[in-house]
Formats: sequence, structure tokens, C-alpha cells
Amino acid sequence: MDLTIRIAGEAGQGVLTIGSLVVQGFARLGLDVLSTKSYMSRIRGGLNWYDIRCGDAPLTGPAERPDLLVALTDVARDLLGEELADGGLILHNSGESSAENVVAIDFEAVARDVAEKKLYAGTVALGAVFGLLGYEPDVLSGLLEEQFARKGDDVVADNRRCVERGAELVAEESGRLDAPESTGDARPVYDGAGAAALAAAAAGVKFVTAYPMTPATATFTWLAGAADEYGIVVEQAEDEIAAINMVCGAAYGGVPAMTMTSGGGLALMAEGLSLAGMMELPAVVLVAQRPAPATGLPTRTAQQDLLFALRAGHGEFPRAIFAPGTVRQSYDLTRRALETAHRYQTPVLVLTDQFLQDMEQTMDELDAAPRPIDRGIVTDPEPDYERYAVTDSGVSPRAIPGGPAFVVCDSDEHAADGHIAEDIEGHLEQQDKRMRKEDGMRADALPPERYGPDDADTLLLVWGSTYGPAREAVDRLDADGESVAMLHFPQLWPLDADAVSEAIGSPARLIAVEGNQTGQFRTLLRSEGIIDECELLTNYTGLPFTGAEIAERIRQ
Amino acid sequence: MINLTEADTSPAWCPGCGNFMILKTFDEAVEEAELDRTRLALVSGIGQAAKLPHYTEANVFNGLHGRALPAATGIKLANHELEVVITSGDGDMYGEGGNHFLHAVRRNIGVKAFVHNNQVYGLTKGQASPTSDPGMVTKVQKHGVNSAPFRPLAVAIAEDCSFVARSFAGDRDHLREMMVAALRHDGGFALLDILQPCPSFNSRNTFQWYRERVRPIGESHDPTDRMAALELAFTWGDEIPIGILYRSDRPSFESHLDVLEDGPLAARYGDR
Repeated sequence: MDLTIRIAGEAGQGVLTIGSLVVQGFARLGLDVLSTKSYMSRIRGGLNWYDIRCGDAPLTGPAERPDLLVALTDVARDLLGEELADGGLILHNSGESSAENVVAIDFEAVARDVAEKKLYAGTVALGAVFGLLGYEPDVLSGLLEEQFARKGDDVVADNRRCVERGAELVAEESGRLDAPESTGDARPVYDGAGAAALAAAAAGVKFVTAYPMTPATATFTWLAGAADEYGIVVEQAEDEIAAINMVCGAAYGGVPAMTMTSGGGLALMAEGLSLAGMMELPAVVLVAQRPAPATGLPTRTAQQDLLFALRAGHGEFPRAIFAPGTVRQSYDLTRRALETAHRYQTPVLVLTDQFLQDMEQTMDELDAAPRPIDRGIVTDPEPDYERYAVTDSGVSPRAIPGGPAFVVCDSDEHAADGHIAEDIEGHLEQQDKRMRKEDGMRADALPPERYGPDDADTLLLVWGSTYGPAREAVDRLDADGESVAMLHFPQLWPLDADAVSEAIGSPARLIAVEGNQTGQFRTLLRSEGIIDECELLTNYTGLPFTGAEIAERIRQ
Repeated sequence: MINLTEADTSPAWCPGCGNFMILKTFDEAVEEAELDRTRLALVSGIGQAAKLPHYTEANVFNGLHGRALPAATGIKLANHELEVVITSGDGDMYGEGGNHFLHAVRRNIGVKAFVHNNQVYGLTKGQASPTSDPGMVTKVQKHGVNSAPFRPLAVAIAEDCSFVARSFAGDRDHLREMMVAALRHDGGFALLDILQPCPSFNSRNTFQWYRERVRPIGESHDPTDRMAALELAFTWGDEIPIGILYRSDRPSFESHLDVLEDGPLAARYGDR
């Protein structure tokens, strides 16, 4: 069984603080937790919410309707109350209950009463959530200690009393909601943004630069926070053009380097990607997608930049694109992206989105220990070393400056020695050498992951963060006697057309499920001659898919 | 297929180009400053000046137009033991790369920027540059340049750049002296703006024109006097001061980074 709590209110009211404490608290109870965030692009006001789904079995995506709505404002109660699941409850920040399913507590008044500080309203709400679900608030004790110890013992004690009081106030209502059973084995929680950052730090990335852009900023901030521990230089660039060129410089210098941005920033980086392709530098860019052209909806989610990520940069050069589907894959594929970029000396993109960046999941501990990737560097080049020596694989021995040989790299077409050259035969030799690397990357490409029955009538083609919702849809449909499976693509480029065709097989019904309007992945698969007839199920609202939504739309 | 190997001559500069003098002087300055060329990284963008790294011996990163500074910043942070020198032109550094110039100087990253300032776009055949004098007529600015010229030295001084100097390609002794001073400068950003005639596309600011105007800065000037330095930076016309305008002891960007105390980042992977 599983249950969803939605904490909603204005920006600045503490939605994030309460939500984060609930997530951490549930993780300590040993529940399986998956959380997502939905917010508006503003610092105050608006309506933001934090959905926390908890269960006694692994969860892969968010639920559509909350079972418990914690409404910090009347607007939150009115607008989101209508989305409440059948039998759901509203915990309303108010002195008076407005309906049978509304439990009212004036969080600020209680906080003032208990601790003479309305600031602690959030911990009163936290206690009330635990109380309503029948969980002992004791488990929160250590959490509050961690959260507030810096501010002093009094603050910790006051918050504990606020939690207890919140739980007491709903004692009579406890049990009205069915909640999953606590296992008592605390579990680690990670979000997509942090998991990608942790992977980069552990993989030996030592130079990180970015221009802040939602929803990529959280990865940048995480790395800045861990910079001293891992020995990373983190610098905020003056713009995205500077960021990608700094990454190219650091990569040339021999340091695994990375930047992160969203679609608009990627547009500014396009020329730099081409530079990394031409100079054969391992540049890694994490692209966290958000919807619509130009500034669009900065805090919402989308899968609208696949074809842009594939084509960004002038001229033709090899690249790889990975698209994590889960928080765990944010870690694994960021590492994979770094490894691929260094093995093939070319730019690699990690295509994620707001939904996954902000998603938190309980899971087994991620490896935080430094495990540097192989930089693929020649340590003792001969004096006649040539940076762009022509090889069968297209990968030339890569030396870095400061060693015994000169390392010459040029954005102009160049000869094998790296110096500018306009000879046409030489140009073709170098161009072909560069593009041959794509063959190697294709041979190494991650295969799509299949979930669901082997002989399913309907096959969903999904990529990136649609993994979780699609998986839940498959479970729902198959449980109802339908015959549905899914194929999830963690790597979008290069594609091994034969292997992908075989993986797809010939189901009666093929449906591409994508967070964009035009079916960009379907277009890609078609252009590669992999598929022909294929339905399209899209969501370009800016909000993520849910499993229930996909299942319902397939049934129709 | 046509074989262009023989036609692919170098350097690609016009006869009489100021770049020849700058290149020759640069090689002499590297010798005089006793730089180990294997630890020298020459970084450039695009333009005639940006081709210089190909005509000497060093590690080379000839990147995108206008983007030499961020690339140089990345290189310096990856391996701060490298001597990172940028050879760039006025279009590359002050036009396309203007934003990076503002911020690289603000950071005070410890690189040396030698800007071949010929007040014109040479590679694209004669359009105005950010430093062109008002009134200069080109095929694009056919009624003459109306914008005020960018004053790189004044901007650098305003940002407390740690070394700011100007020289002239036509005075090789002075140029060598300035280059050596910049190369020996141990600290943050060093800017050396080099007045360079372009005989093909700038008929206004000729050798003769510069020669009549450049005046070495007198010994009475105190380069740590910021206001006096600014005054020199704004002096342009009948008299153009050359020499070291400004020095500041502001620490370099990389000196603030505790993480670099254990040596270059690039040397932390156990395979080198």
C-alpha cells in the first residue's frame, strides 16, 4: 500500500522545510519514499506544493491525487482540495474546520503557545502529519537535533515540543488514514540533482562551472557544498558561453570538468559544444529541461530538448546523450557520461529535467567514495607526439600540457600535429577520424531496458524521467488484464539501430510516451529507420506524467 | 582532389603586418624571461593575432572567437603551474570577448593577455573594431564610426587589474621590455595592450601615426597610484603614453583557492 501527502502553501511559508522533514522522517521509519516538487517562479506568494508518496514497496513515480493535503493557506485548501483522493483528509492551517474531512490547526498559534515563536509552525505541522498517520513522533527527535543543533539546544527542544504538541492535537483523528507500516530500518534519501552531483564528485570531476539556471542549479550548488571535501574548484561563470569554454580549457589541462544548465543556457553553449567536438575534449554538460521556448516556464518540467541536445553545435561531430530515468540513474549515468567523454574525447550530455532533479527517492546508499574515472591520458608522450594522430578507432593518444611534449589543439581544422591546416585531404582525414569515434560509442551504447511481459501486445517507448510513471502505468494496466510492456532508453545517442529494432520487436501497438508536443524521440527513431507506425502520447503541460494518467489515456 | 598542402603557407599574415614584429619580440621575451616552453600554454581565440601560437613553440589552445579568456581560466585552474599567455586582438578580446574581459580582470586570474590592438578587424577585411577612433570610415561604417572607443586600460584599472601596460609594435625594445615585465609578473591578471599598425586595412593609424604619438611613461609615474594611472589610460590623441600604467597587489584568483594548495588539480589522478 502507499499514501501521498501534499504540503502546499505560498513560497516562503516553509513548504520545502516541512516537506523535507517529512521525507527524512519517513525514510527513518524505513518507508519507501518518493517525493516531487511543484513550484512557481517566484520567491514569495503563489502556490507551491511538495508531494511525498510513501509505501511499503518500491515506488517509481508520483501519485496523481494526495491522500492527505496539508494546506498552509485557504487558497491551497480550495484549489488543491478538489484533487484529494477519495477518503482523503485535509490538514488545514486554520482555527476552524470547514468540513468533515478537514482537520484544522492554527500552526502559528500553536507554535506561539508552545515556544513563543510562530517560526516553528512548520514543526507543529510535521508533528500533526505524523500523528494523523499514527507514526510515533519519537523518530523525528534525531532529525530535529541534526536540523537545529547549530542553532542551540533550546531551539532543538522547542521544536521537539512543537512536534509533540502537533501530534497530540490530532490524536483523536489518528487512524482515519491508512498508512504503510514502518519497518524501522532507516534508509538513505537522494534527489536527482544531488545524485548527479555526487557521481561527478566521486568520479573525480575537479572543475565545475555554471551560470545559475533552474532546474540545473541544485546540482551546481551541491557540488559547491562538497567542493572542499572532494577538492573541486567551483566557479560561477559570467555566462554559459564562459562556462562551456572554461570546461574546455580545464579538460585540455587534464581535469575532468563539467557544467550544468537548462535549454536556454545550452543554446548559448552550442558553439562551445562544437569546440569540444573539434578539439576532441571531454566536456560534460548536464541539461535539466524545462518547458517552452525562450524563458518558458522556468520551474516546470519537460522533455523538449532532445533534438536540440542532439543537434546543438555547428558542423558534424560525435557526441553521446544519456537520459536518466530514476535518481539512481542520475548517479550511474552521470558517471557513465564522464567515462564516455574521456574514452572518446568528445562532448557528452546528460539530459534530465525539473521532475527528476527535484525528485527524492529512498534507495541503497550511493557510493560517495572517490573513484576517479580513467582520464585516458598518455603520460609519456614522445617529443614528436601528435595530438590528433590518425587511428583506426578515431581516438588519438591524448596528452596534456606540462609534460614533455607540446599539446597543440585548434578550433580551426588542423593537421595531426594540431596546427591550423587548410589542406582538403587532411581535413577529410581528420573529419573522418573524429566521426569514427561514434562507431565505438555506438558499440558501447547502453541497451534499452524492458519492463513488463515479453510478448506484450502494447509496447511503450519511453526515455528519461518518464521511466517511473510509465512503469507504474504498465503495472496498473497489466493488473487489469491488459498486455502492456515498456522499453526505457537510458541512452538516446548514439543508437544501435539493429539492437533497438530487435528490442522493440513487432508488438501490435507501439506508443511513444514523451514530455513534449511533437514526439521528438519518435522522430529520432523514425529518422534512424528503427520504427514506422507509432502512436504518440504526450504531456507538455509542464507537470510530469503520472502512472495513473498514462494508464488512463492508454485505456482510452 | 586538389592538393593544397603547398599553398597552405604560414604565417598567414600580410607583408608588413605588425604581427611579425610582435611574434619576433615575443620569442625574444620568452627567452629573456627564461620560460620553460613545455610549461607555456598559449591561448587564443580567432583573428590574425590569434594565429600567433601556431608560429612559435608552446602548448597551444586556439579556441573560439572571443573565448580565449574563459578557456585560459579553465587551463590555469586545471594546472596553475602552467604559464598561461593569451594572444588576442582587439576584436577577439574587447568585442566578441568583452564580457569575459570584464570578468576575467575582475577575478584577477593569473594569466597574461597580450592584445594586438590594431583598431580594426583584419581577418574579416577592414570593419571597425571596439577601439577604432571615431570618424573612421569603413565599408560597413561608411559614414564613419560614431561609437566611443573602448578604453581597455581604463576598464582594467577600474577593476583593479594587477598589471596594466601598453606598448607599440613599432618599438621592439619597449615591447620586449613590457612583455618580459608581464611574463615576470607574479600574481593576478596582466594586460598588455600592444598598438599594432595594420597596413592593409587601417590607413588611419599607421606606423607613422603611432610613432609620432607614443611617449614612454616617465619615471616619475607611480604605477600604484590608481588615479594617475587612470589619467594615463584616458590619454589618447596627440600623445599616447606607453609603459606600465598600473600595478596592484590584489591577490590572484587562484591564490584564494585552498584546494590548489596541494598542487595542480591535473596532477591528482595517480597516473601522472
